[in-house]
Amino acid sequence: MSDEAIAPSAGSEVESRAQVKARLAGLAFTLPAVGWILLFFAAPLAIMAAYSLMPLDSEGKPGPLSLAGYRAFFAESAYTAALWNSAVTTAVVVVVSTLLAYPFAYGIANILPRRWQRLALAMAILPFWTSYVVRSYAWLLALSPVGVINNLLLALHIVEHPLRLAYNPQATELGFVHFFIMLNALTIYANLVQINPHYALAARDLGASAWRCFLAVTLPLSIPGVAVGAFLTIVLCIGDFVTPQILGGFRGLLLPQVVMMQIQRQLNLPMASVMSLVLTLVVAIAYLGMQRWLRMARL
Amino acid sequence: MEPRSLARNLALRLTIAGLMGAALPLGVVSGAQAQGSLNVLTWCDHEDPTLLQPFEAANGVKINYKDISSTAQILAVLGQSKPGDWDVVVMDQTDTGRLAKMGLLAPLDAKDYPFADIPAEIANPKLSSFEGKLYTVPEKFGYNTVAFDKTAVSEGAMSDIQAPWDPKYKDRVAVYDYYVPEIQYVALALGKDPTAISDADLPAIKEKLAALKANAAMVGDVTPVQQALATGAVDILVGGGEWVTAGMAKDKPNLDYIIPKQGGIRWQQGLGVFAGSNNKSMATKFIQYILSPEGQGKLATSSCYWGMPANNKAVLTPEQKKILRWDDQPGYIKVSYPYLQMTPEMDQKLQALWAQVMQGK
Amino acid sequence: MRGRFALSRLGPIFGGFYMTACYVFIFLPVVVLVLFSFQGGNLPVPPFNGPSLRWYQAAFADGRLVDGFVNSLMVGGVSSALSVLIGFLGAYGIARYDFPGKGAMQAVIILPLAVSYLLIGMGLLVSASALGLGPSLWIVTAGHVVINMPLAFAICLAQLGEHQRRVEAAARDLGASTFRVLFSITAPMIAPALIAAFCLCFTFSWDETLIALLNTRFEVTLPVVILSLLRGGVNAETNAAGSFIFLCSILLMIVVELLLLRQRRR
Repeated sequence: MSDEAIAPSAGSEVESRAQVKARLAGLAFTLPAVGWILLFFAAPLAIMAAYSLMPLDSEGKPGPLSLAGYRAFFAESAYTAALWNSAVTTAVVVVVSTLLAYPFAYGIANILPRRWQRLALAMAILPFWTSYVVRSYAWLLALSPVGVINNLLLALHIVEHPLRLAYNPQATELGFVHFFIMLNALTIYANLVQINPHYALAARDLGASAWRCFLAVTLPLSIPGVAVGAFLTIVLCIGDFVTPQILGGFRGLLLPQVVMMQIQRQLNLPMASVMSLVLTLVVAIAYLGMQRWLRMARL
Repeated sequence: MEPRSLARNLALRLTIAGLMGAALPLGVVSGAQAQGSLNVLTWCDHEDPTLLQPFEAANGVKINYKDISSTAQILAVLGQSKPGDWDVVVMDQTDTGRLAKMGLLAPLDAKDYPFADIPAEIANPKLSSFEGKLYTVPEKFGYNTVAFDKTAVSEGAMSDIQAPWDPKYKDRVAVYDYYVPEIQYVALALGKDPTAISDADLPAIKEKLAALKANAAMVGDVTPVQQALATGAVDILVGGGEWVTAGMAKDKPNLDYIIPKQGGIRWQQGLGVFAGSNNKSMATKFIQYILSPEGQGKLATSSCYWGMPANNKAVLTPEQKKILRWDDQPGYIKVSYPYLQMTPEMDQKLQALWAQVMQGK
Repeated sequence: MRGRFALSRLGPIFGGFYMTACYVFIFLPVVVLVLFSFQGGNLPVPPFNGPSLRWYQAAFADGRLVDGFVNSLMVGGVSSALSVLIGFLGAYGIARYDFPGKGAMQAVIILPLAVSYLLIGMGLLVSASALGLGPSLWIVTAGHVVINMPLAFAICLAQLGEHQRRVEAAARDLGASTFRVLFSITAPMIAPALIAAFCLCFTFSWDETLIALLNTRFEVTLPVVILSLLRGGVNAETNAAGSFIFLCSILLMIVVELLLLRQRRR
């Protein structure tokens, strides 16, 4: 059944007026949403793109339209290094959090009885209702030489002296993975519970082992959930400023940190715009690469 | 399940929520506009409620402040603001001349402030005046040298300025993220006069600074580096001083600082009034409050970082004075150099140098 | 057969062990946070000096924290309500009607989901600067609607299926106007989804730091206050603030659960 539920198709004048009225109604309902996005998202984006094409000259005044800002960005090794770091960190975070979240989501969906599943999910989400900033800060304390992790390692005699765990890219990745495990577990779970259990039953009836059944039936059907989670992770992780700022230690700056420095210290909005748009380009490339799996996902 | 009663319920709930949502902004906005306000650009040590509330209550004014951690940031914020947006500034006094020349500061009357109680070196007109007029009043000073964990490294080793570059401390060093004193400290380590840095010195400074960063575990602002030292994540903080160790002296008596035998850098903050301010009389009152003995005592022991008060009548307990090394100050002042008084061009060059080293690998 | 039996025995055991490990990992920073919010000394690190409420007192006495809390509530409430309203209307339009450009409009609505907050926040900052507008909480609210409305839209769209369509058609046959159908039939039928969308939007808005940081000056939201708290000294006041927020969130969740549960029983 198509979506044309309101207007009947045959062509008398009354009916086509009803059709027009239906179309206008549809537009009227959708217009606020589209209008808001155009006004507060698309238009600012266009202005930002314009800014990025008017880089500041040596006096700090915006110059004529040119690609000089982009050339300067790619010419400066510090900036491209930050871009690379962002890409690498995001990739690592996506892979690790997906790998860790999948068994977790699978456990909630298939091992726990139905009644407890919602509670299990709620418990998994609960810790993330502290403030994001405070959570990153709490990780910093937990990782410090006098923090709980080192205390545990020392108590178990795994190490002799406290390890320096914070202020490096790995600490940033840990902070990210902590959040994105939860996010990916949610999207994978949402997908897993939608999978018709009869498929798996049929496979088992036909003689497949539990492992084979998983690989051939459950896993492929859950790819859309994995893809949605991975894409959300990419979008949220690559643009994040707080976690690397608190945990990263200035070793290997990530691009959002460089953007904030441009805004707060050098007041160079055009260059900050250039950097933000380059970051978006990376996300767009990731989207194009993942399109096939994302389209399969039902929101 | 009756749709109608559900709908009414939902509608009622949404209406209440909407009304509450609409009422709150009105409440908050009208509350804020009832008092006057004073907008302050300041380092983080002026943000304690214990410091601000007595002034706010006595004068019926609300103090809005924005955190900055360098003069470059002050200029960046001013560039994004309109005249009249800001009233008071707390800044490195060595930049007084530069900001006064740009017409940003309003002249002050020396009679309004207790200069009689401020040591001569601190009240130096070179730092507070420009073309014969007073623009900033000194309020607090301290040192950017090297702070360290006594239980991890020895004081003797730290008395040599070259110590943080020693490979045996690799990944145990933190660098304070403020380009001015750090570049000067590096210049001092190269044997140059830190108050007379020229263009020719920059390549050598850049190389030495890069070597320091390579030996360091982290570079951070005021609080992150304090935290790193306090939690033992690093043992040495280049650019540290009493501002790092004094506030934590009770909890962390193992933290100490020293001025190396080659000398150190001295920071000094001053208060000024913006030329575009619409609230100059209240701004002046605020400066007087900060310079009063009570204000100076609270400022010296601020929760963000401690430092020596400019007014020697500041209200401090003997224990606090001991932590601040009150009696050693004349000696320290003699062996330390003030911040660099830069032209705008030199400032840009130093910022670029710092950015290149910090953002590079 | 034996292999299958062993696997089905071990599976839940390993699964349980792994899931426990995951929960420990997830809860670790929160436990540390709450524990050291009761720290007696100054530094929120071990050793733990006896439970003390001084940091909670400091947090409540801190006017900035309270202001930030109220501002976050306002921005969250208003932006979430707007997001759900506009998203619901938009989903209704897309799901029930056919008109030229429908596909393109849907793509436009969903677009912000694919873009990082940095871009949205920067876009608003640059535009406000270009138009001469100062930073303000209203800009932040607008930005939060941009990030949340696509979510509300997607949630509503997924729920507006065939079942509701038939009931709506019946109501219309009985003479109900479009608006009456919308608010008396459709909305109540997907009420759980609307509430879930509101809660999700509120959660995202509540915690959003970047757009708020870029677009506010003195009137700030809670995450920005906490960021500046972290810059203002090494003490456990942030811990107390974070723990309090956590507690509020738990209470909120319980309240919502009770509301939802009560609705279901009717």
